[in-house]
Amino acid sequence: MPRLNRTGILALLVAASSAFLLFQLYYYRQSSNGGNALRQKDVQWEAVRRVMGVARQVALPIFLADPAALSLIGQQGGAEGGGRGCSFLCTGRTTTAFAAIADHWKYDAVAAAASQKGLEVEQVRGRDPRLLEEGAELSAAQIPLHFLFRSTHGHIIQVVLLYQRSGGYLWHGPLRLAPGADRRLAPPTGLPYGRHAGAYHRPELVLTVVDGLDVRVPRNSSHFLSLRSHAHFIECRHKEARAFYQLYPEDGSVEAAEFRRGARSVLLLAGRTLDALNVPFWISSGTCLGWFRQCGFISYSRDVDVGVSIRHYRPDLATAFASAGLPLKHSFGKVEDSLELSFQAPGGGVKLDIFFFYQEESWGGAVVWNGGTQAKSGRKFKYVFPSFDLCWAELAGVRVRVPCATLDYVRANYGQEAWLTPVTSWDWKTSPSNVVDNGVWPRQDWAQVIQLY
Amino acid sequence: METWTPNPRAKPFIPRQQRSLYLAWKYKLTNKRAVRRFCQAGAVLFLLITVIVNIKLILDTRRAANEEEAAQEYEDALPNMETPRRPVGGRKALDIEVYSSRSKVYVAVDGTTVLEDDLREQGRGIHVIVLNQATGHVMAKRIFDTYSPHEDEAMILFLNMVTRGRVLIFTIKDEGTFHLKDSAKNLLKSLGSEVSLSLSWRDMWTLVVKKGGQVYGEKHSKSPALSTWGDPVLLKTEVQLTASEEAECHWADTELNRRRKLFCSKVEGYGSICSCKDPAPIEFTPDTLPNNNVFNVPVAVIAGNRPNYLYRMLRSLLSAHGVNPQMITVFIDGYYEEPMDVVELFGLKGVQHTPISIKNARVSQHYKASLTATFNLHPDVSFAIVLEEDLDISIDFFSFLSQTIHLLDEDDSLYCISAWNDQGYEHTAEDPALLYRVESMPGLGWVLKKSLYKDELEPKWPTPEKLWDWDMWMRMPEQRKGRECIIPDVSRSYHFGIIGLNMNGYFHEVYFKKHKFNTVPNVQLKDVEGLKQDAYEVEIQSLLKEAEVLDHSKNPCEDSFIPDSEGKTFIMYIKMDTETDTDTWTELAKCLHVWDLDVRGNHRGLWRLFRKRNHVLVVAFPISPYSVKKPTSVVPIHLEPPPKDEGAPVEQI
Repeated sequence: MPRLNRTGILALLVAASSAFLLFQLYYYRQSSNGGNALRQKDVQWEAVRRVMGVARQVALPIFLADPAALSLIGQQGGAEGGGRGCSFLCTGRTTTAFAAIADHWKYDAVAAAASQKGLEVEQVRGRDPRLLEEGAELSAAQIPLHFLFRSTHGHIIQVVLLYQRSGGYLWHGPLRLAPGADRRLAPPTGLPYGRHAGAYHRPELVLTVVDGLDVRVPRNSSHFLSLRSHAHFIECRHKEARAFYQLYPEDGSVEAAEFRRGARSVLLLAGRTLDALNVPFWISSGTCLGWFRQCGFISYSRDVDVGVSIRHYRPDLATAFASAGLPLKHSFGKVEDSLELSFQAPGGGVKLDIFFFYQEESWGGAVVWNGGTQAKSGRKFKYVFPSFDLCWAELAGVRVRVPCATLDYVRANYGQEAWLTPVTSWDWKTSPSNVVDNGVWPRQDWAQVIQLY
Repeated sequence: METWTPNPRAKPFIPRQQRSLYLAWKYKLTNKRAVRRFCQAGAVLFLLITVIVNIKLILDTRRAANEEEAAQEYEDALPNMETPRRPVGGRKALDIEVYSSRSKVYVAVDGTTVLEDDLREQGRGIHVIVLNQATGHVMAKRIFDTYSPHEDEAMILFLNMVTRGRVLIFTIKDEGTFHLKDSAKNLLKSLGSEVSLSLSWRDMWTLVVKKGGQVYGEKHSKSPALSTWGDPVLLKTEVQLTASEEAECHWADTELNRRRKLFCSKVEGYGSICSCKDPAPIEFTPDTLPNNNVFNVPVAVIAGNRPNYLYRMLRSLLSAHGVNPQMITVFIDGYYEEPMDVVELFGLKGVQHTPISIKNARVSQHYKASLTATFNLHPDVSFAIVLEEDLDISIDFFSFLSQTIHLLDEDDSLYCISAWNDQGYEHTAEDPALLYRVESMPGLGWVLKKSLYKDELEPKWPTPEKLWDWDMWMRMPEQRKGRECIIPDVSRSYHFGIIGLNMNGYFHEVYFKKHKFNTVPNVQLKDVEGLKQDAYEVEIQSLLKEAEVLDHSKNPCEDSFIPDSEGKTFIMYIKMDTETDTDTWTELAKCLHVWDLDVRGNHRGLWRLFRKRNHVLVVAFPISPYSVKKPTSVVPIHLEPPPKDEGAPVEQI
């Protein structure tokens, strides 16, 4: 009997404990794994809905700029017919990003609207770069750069504010949380926007239904994402430029003003022409030095220099420039070696030099170089630079690219410290610190490699 | 691959052992005791798993709870951070020193000099400082040159605006009583001064008093003789601070009132803005315009350190129909606090500019920086409206611009639209719907085209070392290039500034006070298309045709020169042989009491103005192309300037 009893008790215990265990397993599953994923989705969708409500309330025209969501939309070829599910907005990440083109200089109503909707909000502010103008020192209240909304469940929604700049592009500022700010607003994975300042074309937006919400998205989401990956923008060093002008005051003469005006219009024209051909270019040599050192053109430099990678060379460049009003003035070198094209308006004016850059593995690393040719002697020169990535910048109200590591580029070209001092007597064959003698063009090639118009 | 060779050391395959294991298993299963053991072990395992799952659950819940708690802590932490910002108790009184003498005045509060003026030939009169009775902060600093007329009236106005309870400090530098009339002396007496009624020529005097309260101290030294000054006086006294609650009003807690409260705690002298009972509004809801073409045009307000002017200006600007406050930016030349306080009171955007250079060049550099910044801040606009801090803005200012702004795009012979008619005085302007074309740029509320600024003006703007007036520079032929401005007959702005770089009371009285200013809303302008270059010539020709020639034998300065009719058009010819032969016009302008300091408001040698409600055309003969209309019998009027030594040369503005 007692034996049977013991077995019975044991059986009862096992049954009870397994039932308990099953219940617990069920509960645990609900609360952590599958359930959590489900809830996470709800949380994300709900947070997005609320932030959109806030934006509507304060008339902030936001559009979806989240890399993960946009790439999902891009893959599906559009978000129409998303239905009730949450297949685009619920990316499973802790952040969702929106952008808005800022047309106001303050958004005081956001905080109240957000707290009404049960969201915490942090406004990240920064200096207004549009007030940093060479020669003038202006200061104003900082402008809002980013809004970080945090739902009660910890989902973060970033709204990056895009400001229209004079170069005809949209700019957003870097995101730097204030020392006192809530650390939880900066997830360890980082926020999608704000590591650097960025520059964008104004995207074409379409209103569409994404996961049951009316959302505006860039019409070409993959194009927008590709812009994002090359959006890094560098502000010109206005403070240093002011210090430079204190030491070396700007040339106030009519000729200098006329040159600056001419240089700007040539740069504008070059940008328009090369953009139309999809040829990326950057400002090089003296023009780059002018931007980096003094946020402007060097008035005695007489021409505008731009660099283009030889990979992007197109034979129809000359005709494109000619029809833009800048016919070819001379052409040195050939596509395989030391190509340089110069354009100038028929009535004179500021000359545009396009230097083509060649990549080379040597001296223990990747370097790039461009060539120079002396017309009368056929001598060749080579200017060697450390290889670089391209960033956006603004020069005289024109959006241009510059080597991201501009200091290295300028130092290579003009010497470690010498670039800080203006040099008016400049010899392109000997003055640059990175010039290398590169032999002489063979006499029989001269007709091809030295063409003057 | 090589042929496969079996491992010689591998154990041979023995199926029998497998079978015996299985048999043993089967045998064990049949054993009851073994079953019991197995079940027991199973139960223990189950219990163990249950425990583990439980622990995990508890840990998860704890983590979630911790996060919530952290959020709670953060919210709790905020008020704690606020506490130290409150003024530290303990300091309840302020030591105040006030000094009055012929050549120097100073005021020190707790050892900090808040006023010091020992410059020669400057700062004459009564200096007044207003302190916040709770914090001791300087809220206003004024000088009233009561040696000169009317300044005592300004002082009365100011003192009446100061809120009760504030601490007032008075001190005289040099002379402050010559035009200090009895009404002002009585007001000082009512504030608590004992000597104000006996204040006289070259006395030195200081007073520290609470408005509507006690007198903290007063010192006075009489001037012994007309030619000498009273001995310097130094007053040292102590002022008890009151609790901050007593110094504040209890307005409803709104966004607007928060701005108001901040403003009123910092500055004084803005009257009813800070009135506790019935404060003046700081938000205006003027009518919108039906088709507003200038709603998105940025408005740049160029300001210096004249916060009271700026206040008056912004109030009129924000009350104008069709204003868009989001587009207004106030550019302040220097890091002055009070103008910025005014800007923030109205919730507008203010930009401060580090001053460059001196005098006119400083103004001109400030203009350049402001215009550049305006177009930087609004890169997609093609116009900007430029205003100055000493202008009243007409109620239909934006309506006027909205109706005319397209002309700048459609007519290349224009380079600005201005709200100001240089010759539009009370007695010479009549028709709010009438527009003119003029060759001089009037400024004072005008529209600038971006392309003109960016392509022409900005690149060659006068550099800081050139002490030029920016407007004079803009009027130079090199900049104007023969282009003209559109102006209204009746100005849409009013220049009220008396203090300024090129300004003083006399000058204002003569040239600006009697300027006509439109107060009629929604004026529908007449024939705007007729302002384009060719159409305007047609209009002029028809005016010339209908115009009656005035009697040139009469003296044009006499009232009878114009017949006592109404609504007629008259024409007169004056002698002007060359561009620089301006004698006759200047003399005529003087007797007409219009702008006579330089030649302004003309279109190809033709001035248009109203006299006795008649339209009068003044044609310069022979340089004006309209001279051909002159009947041969008419001798152009010639007036000689008075001999040189009679009139003192007047400084140009």
